[in-house]
Amino acid sequence: MAQQPQHTKTKRYGMVIDLDKCTGCGACMVACYAENNVPFRQDDSDKMRSLNWIRVMKVDNGKAFPDTEVCYIPMPCMQCDGQHMQGHSPCVSVCPAVATDYDYPTGIVSQIYTRCFGCRYCMAACPYHARKFNWWDPKWPADMEKYLNPDVSARMRGVVEKCSFCYHRYQKARDKAYVEGRDELHEDEYQTACTQACPTNAITFGDLYNPEHAVHSLSRSKNAFRLLERLNTNPKVYYLSSKSWVRRVADNYLEGENPEQVAKARKAAATH
Amino acid sequence: MTTPAIPEGVKRCSTRQFTLWLAVVGAVLLWGVYAMFLIWYKGLNQTGMNDAYGFALWIWADLAVIALGGGAFFSGFLTYIIGKKELKSIINYAVIIGFICYSSALLILALDIGQPLRGWFIFWHANVHSMLTEVAFCLSCYFAVLTIEFIPLVLENPKLDRIPFLHHLSHNMHEVMAVFAATGVFLSFFHQGSLGGVAGVLYGRPFAFREGLLIWPWTFFLFTWSAAAVGPCFTMLVTWLTEKITQKKLVRPEAFELLAKISGWMLLTYMIAKIADTWYWAAVTAPARGFSLMEFYSNNPIYGIWILIAELVICGIVPALILITPKWRENKNLLVTAAILAVLGVCINRWVMVLQVMAAPLLPFQDWYMYMPTWQEVATTILPVAYGAILISLAYRYLPVFPHEKELNPGQ
Amino acid sequence: MKIDRRCFLSLVIGGAVGTTLTPVPWKLTDDIAIWTQNWSWTPEPEDGPSKFVKSVCTQCSGGCGIIARTIGNRAIKIEGQPDHPVNNGSLCPKAISATQHLYGPSRIQGPMKRAGERGQGKWEKISWDEAISTVTEKLAELRTRGKPHSVACISDTDRNSVAYLLDRFLRAYGSPNFIRTPSSADAQELALYLSFGRQGTIGYDFKQSDFILSFGCALMDGCDAAGQMMSAFGDMDKKTRLVQIEARLSDTAAKASQWVAAKPGTETDLALGLGHVMVRDGLYDKAFIDSHGFAFEDREDEAGNAYPGYRSLVRDYSPEKVAKTTGLPEKTIESLARAFARARRPVAVTGFSNPAAASVNQALAVFALNALAGNFQKPGGVFVIDEPDYLSWTEMKIDKTASAGNQQARIDGAGTKRFAHTRYLPNRLPEAINSSQGDSPVQALLVAGGNPLYTLADPQSAKKAFEKIPFIVSFSTFMDETAEQADLLLPHPHFLECYQDVPTPAGMAKTVISLARPVVKPVYDTRHTGDVIIETAKNLGGFIENAFPWKNHEDFLKKTLSDQWETLEKQGYWTDDSSRDNSLEKLFRTSSQRFEFLPRAGFETQGSENPKSKVQTVSLPGDVNELPLVLVPYSTIRISGGAVANTPFMTKTVDANVIAQQDVFVEINPETASEYGLSQGDKATLKTPAGNAKVRVNLFEGIMPGLVAMPAGLGRTGFSDYIAGKGVNVYGLIAPAADPASGLNAAWGARAAIGKA
Repeated sequence: MAQQPQHTKTKRYGMVIDLDKCTGCGACMVACYAENNVPFRQDDSDKMRSLNWIRVMKVDNGKAFPDTEVCYIPMPCMQCDGQHMQGHSPCVSVCPAVATDYDYPTGIVSQIYTRCFGCRYCMAACPYHARKFNWWDPKWPADMEKYLNPDVSARMRGVVEKCSFCYHRYQKARDKAYVEGRDELHEDEYQTACTQACPTNAITFGDLYNPEHAVHSLSRSKNAFRLLERLNTNPKVYYLSSKSWVRRVADNYLEGENPEQVAKARKAAATH
Repeated sequence: MTTPAIPEGVKRCSTRQFTLWLAVVGAVLLWGVYAMFLIWYKGLNQTGMNDAYGFALWIWADLAVIALGGGAFFSGFLTYIIGKKELKSIINYAVIIGFICYSSALLILALDIGQPLRGWFIFWHANVHSMLTEVAFCLSCYFAVLTIEFIPLVLENPKLDRIPFLHHLSHNMHEVMAVFAATGVFLSFFHQGSLGGVAGVLYGRPFAFREGLLIWPWTFFLFTWSAAAVGPCFTMLVTWLTEKITQKKLVRPEAFELLAKISGWMLLTYMIAKIADTWYWAAVTAPARGFSLMEFYSNNPIYGIWILIAELVICGIVPALILITPKWRENKNLLVTAAILAVLGVCINRWVMVLQVMAAPLLPFQDWYMYMPTWQEVATTILPVAYGAILISLAYRYLPVFPHEKELNPGQ
Repeated sequence: MKIDRRCFLSLVIGGAVGTTLTPVPWKLTDDIAIWTQNWSWTPEPEDGPSKFVKSVCTQCSGGCGIIARTIGNRAIKIEGQPDHPVNNGSLCPKAISATQHLYGPSRIQGPMKRAGERGQGKWEKISWDEAISTVTEKLAELRTRGKPHSVACISDTDRNSVAYLLDRFLRAYGSPNFIRTPSSADAQELALYLSFGRQGTIGYDFKQSDFILSFGCALMDGCDAAGQMMSAFGDMDKKTRLVQIEARLSDTAAKASQWVAAKPGTETDLALGLGHVMVRDGLYDKAFIDSHGFAFEDREDEAGNAYPGYRSLVRDYSPEKVAKTTGLPEKTIESLARAFARARRPVAVTGFSNPAAASVNQALAVFALNALAGNFQKPGGVFVIDEPDYLSWTEMKIDKTASAGNQQARIDGAGTKRFAHTRYLPNRLPEAINSSQGDSPVQALLVAGGNPLYTLADPQSAKKAFEKIPFIVSFSTFMDETAEQADLLLPHPHFLECYQDVPTPAGMAKTVISLARPVVKPVYDTRHTGDVIIETAKNLGGFIENAFPWKNHEDFLKKTLSDQWETLEKQGYWTDDSSRDNSLEKLFRTSSQRFEFLPRAGFETQGSENPKSKVQTVSLPGDVNELPLVLVPYSTIRISGGAVANTPFMTKTVDANVIAQQDVFVEINPETASEYGLSQGDKATLKTPAGNAKVRVNLFEGIMPGLVAMPAGLGRTGFSDYIAGKGVNVYGLIAPAADPASGLNAAWGARAAIGKA
């Protein structure tokens, strides 16, 4: 784990999702669609062509009735810090036109829709399938264009989009703080739409570097882990689960390997 | 007095027969062009691709034609830089095949992007860290070089050659050709490598990811090497096919012999490197990320371990051994078989490095992602074949492609 | 002309430079790219002044507080109201995506009359004057013919101001036929009335309870109290035990500390079995039962007839026997009963299964567990909330025609001798109409919400019955399944466009009144149903007109809520913390003034001598050999099972193994599936006594072998192309079965067979 750089205002915005609390209701997805002007289609059942900035995956422990257990895993963009925590996220480094970039002050991976020309290399690079392509022109029937959020631009056909951690909300909060002569944002001033919508408060959002933010200690708790940590993508989305089988399906393990040991070895290697 | 359009001293089929042939291939071409316009007008929803399969048939076709078009740069390298005079017999044809391959690749790339009208952003807003940027720059530059290499040949058409300006232009271009060939070779080494890098740098995709040297993953070198090895095989194969169709000898046997030998040794050394790479990947790179080799080759309807064996042994080691053994490669049937296998092998390699990469699940709760191309994708992938056939036919009919054709076919 | 090298090079370089210097190609390239960045068909949302308006969602009876974000006169987004006592900021996906319905293609954009055949979808726009006079004329005519009682009104609630005005209108006009659409609240409210003697709702103090025993409640699966439940679950500390009794691993079961997979339809037996253990081991609140319990022990009435009490009743429900019925291990039943009894603040919950039916006996059996635990009106326990009292206006004067009409028996049979305490029996209405000879007993039907042609238990026979009704008026906001079959459409505004009071939602442990209010100006030419009623009453004149002394609905609402109006306007809700009486003394208003374990009221209506015969579960019709499986409906929070359909956003969240293109997937255990040669994704035909359906198969380990589960809320025909035509309506496959105690529909499933298509 990288240490917070001294004497800088660098933030590392991240998310901690308590899977024990997630009921799979989908409120995060719907809030995200509404907040970020995500279009929809008459038949959106081809999930590999359906625009989603956060998807809730349903996984089970593979055991037969009645020992079956189910867990929901909400997956937004993981906002990877990349190998060596230097902002070389899998997607950012491959984009040929700098249409996606790592914002060092916040750690958020951006996407510039007007710059993107739709080569989809970033989608190939992202192991979380967090990136989605606009296969069609977006369409809002009847008067539905009226509900579009002016803070977020609608995307045209042929470009890639993804979760921005509601960056426009960050900008608004930052502007407000600036007007009020403050340097720092309060924890509750900048929250993503999904965090706000989660009806069981399973999602916590904040600056992972800031000890006063809940995510700081939550992300360091015993039950915290990230998806596909072994790929060295260094995501900023952490998960909490009290169930060991959930932890096991969150990454790949060889026969005989155990998630706790692998995590320990990783940590030891990182401190060296 | 009118100058015939057909080069002096060679025999070509009747205009009627030629037109008929063009019509047939042209129909296929038109089908592809129709699909192409559908895709540009309606967007990429016309394809079978999806968010898991952002790269599919087209990218494979791109990688494959560029690898096969590698015959141009490697023959150029051998002819102009190493000075293998025997290859003069085939170098023109290698350039034409290369030109076809590269122009097709660019066309397919223009199709494969969601916003073709913004395609130039790759140059304007270039990200120097991206392998694709490297590909785009080298590819376009090398295509320009190939065009320059192709122009003098076009100008040698008897009718064009009679125009003094064009005659002199052609002459002057010939003089500087070595410089362009050298530039082309340099560019080619790079973009073939960058194409390999495209998959190899994907550290989020354990099936594709390879460690490497400095910023270049091993696939960077393997792709260049394999293109150099198999490109000449493809050139030989097309030449052989042309000879069969025209029922003529077009290239001196020494040229075949030399290309086959060099190709064979290149292929053999490539295979050694590739096997070493595969072993290291299976034993070290992938397990460090929690994957065992067989996870990449099971629980799905297509990708079994057979594909690895086919690529490495049947379409790798076998053709290499045939080509390096003088007795075997002298047998034309064996030589052609070896060339076909080698071409297949590199196509499988490119397929695996694009489509299997996309198909392999990353999280344990995911299934393999499967993909089926639509007819629009197939049509636009066949389009370059038809276009290539037409260009080759025209070139063969009207240009002095094979300098030794007259000498090899006396009495015609 | 001779070209030398110099000339050649200058030509090439000059040409290249020359082209570069010509601005045309570059400008064009750039312009084309800029054009792609500003395609006119990719909308650019307009900016403007932003506001946050407090309101309440009325799409179901849950009553969740919302905050609507507006830009100018546009509603942008719905968020939870963090300080609202019902949901504390938690919302379900339907509430969050309400703007999609507000502006969507499902809206009826103005008053219309039918132009083609019923259901043909041909409409003619008319003016509101014409629309209202059409209704007035029809109603006046029926009254002149002395048939005011042939007018019926269906609504999704009987608790808010619109329902009050409708009911008042019917009574002034002369019809007793105000009908509420069915929901799982029916059985709860009836059981509450029978055992507590009170009309109202039951509240559970989930946040303070340490042991929640849920009998198949869809707490986290989209019941009407979703916001409330999820907020409570979010606040629960990890020591609180939630136990879910259900045959399928639902989302509630998945979140529970313990999942008890009892066979479906055996919940009543299990509740009585748990009671058996508690009584046998003396693990109950003796003090409470001594001072407030009735019919716990065997008793005799004044005439000397002996009646067994709860103690004797549960004697027959030994763990051994219940284990056989429920399919659970005896050990589980024993330990569950003990854990429940030993918890400090346990609560047993039933109902909340939108929209599935429930039997009154099940509700009574679960209430009995709460009584054994002695948790009434205690923190972490059960609370009784009376019907709202703000809607009580002085009785009006009515004329003879009205009084004669009001004395007629209700067409649905509710309140008749057989079902004396049941208020509404909407599911018996189709049968009453279909079985009548000659003219339909309903000559005019006013549908004000509830979308009965979708929500009634047997949609096919409901549709048949509606065909016999000569005049159907729909007040629906959306082109729902009922509006499609109507003659006249008088669209009510969307809830983000008008005032609406929302009384305490079921499940709330205290009184909360919320106010929905206009967040944006009406988008279309709609009129509040309350306004239409008042105007129609005025048009009819006489006593009817006099019964409605208000200008319009808003005027009525302000006067009705005069004391609370200011608070409601300011904070969006009003709650009654101070006046709450938690004592048990006045809680029970039964004839015994006690909590009745085996309610006398219930038995009296049925005239039965032996109450034991009352505790029967509804068995499913059909031949077990021919139909070896059991189809059960399940609710999911991502698919609306109620009157108002999904928003496109909700459908978008549904997984591809629930809906794919037009097909619905049924869940089936892999073991059962292999018996029938079915694999994942297979197309199959599902057969029940009520009908056939084409489905696809989703293998799920979390469902009991032998069951087939299908999500409720699909198979719609109305609303829009984004919603209709996906899957089948599971209730079309489950024939209704009347609960003998109440007449309510208590069909919990249907016998079924499945085979590869």
